[in-house]
Amino acid sequence: MHYFSQLFNYEHPWSHVVIGMWHKYPNPHCTHVVTVDVVDRSIDSRTGIIRTERILGCKQKAPAWIVRFFGGSEDAFVREISFVNPATQEATITSVNLSLSQFATCYESIKYAPAPNGHTSFSQTAEIQARMALWRSAADKLEGWLVQRFEQNAHLGKVGFSDVLRSMWEAKEQQHAHS
Amino acid sequence: MAHSLSEACTPLKSEYDSCFNAWFEGYLEPAVSTTPEQRTKFSNQKAAEYEEKCGKIWEKYRSCVQKAVKDKQLDALLDQARQENPLKEPPNDSSTNKASSS
Repeated sequence: MHYFSQLFNYEHPWSHVVIGMWHKYPNPHCTHVVTVDVVDRSIDSRTGIIRTERILGCKQKAPAWIVRFFGGSEDAFVREISFVNPATQEATITSVNLSLSQFATCYESIKYAPAPNGHTSFSQTAEIQARMALWRSAADKLEGWLVQRFEQNAHLGKVGFSDVLRSMWEAKEQQHAHS
Repeated sequence: MAHSLSEACTPLKSEYDSCFNAWFEGYLEPAVSTTPEQRTKFSNQKAAEYEEKCGKIWEKYRSCVQKAVKDKQLDALLDQARQENPLKEPPNDSSTNKASSS
């Protein structure tokens, strides 16, 4: 498991930052995000909390070995759920990768909250974790296959060498008998 | 505005995003400053206003994007992610919204 975190302030009031959230992409600094879609949205008519579920499409420039090994493609998709709570002035965004999620997960949490002087604090954490159970089962399968291959080869080796010995010594014995 | 994952949905998405953004910009600041006593009434009224203004275009855009999600074979991945972590409520703390790392 790997962690990442950072914390800083934006010099804009919370409401401006939260309105800006929906205008972040497309962005010349983040050209890897190419598509953004809302797949679910609800407005709680009691609390006023807005929940939004989006799918972000990214062009990943993955190293060739990752693409070869995991069979990924250039397109990677991320599920993002955000909550905007006007009562507490909190906006939280949670993201997780959909692509390659059978191998590893990258969980990102972001929080925007008001900070002194009309600024907004931004805190971000991410946890990157390979799915160990999967690695284990893949490793077990690999070991099982190797054991099987080894047994087969060991058997063939025995048969093969027996043949060599038999024909070699049978020939010698025949020669011996003739002489 | 960013494109939709299906070009066919991009015009609907643009229309929906514009509608939501216009509503949201009028919603946020009054929502922050409303009193706790007024909040439910205010939220109710604003939710109804959103439904009235953006409900129709949302339905059109949503059915388009749902089809696109299926076509791109993202539906199974999305369902799995939703099962692992429904996130129906705001996370209390960043450490409480981890997926089960199976």
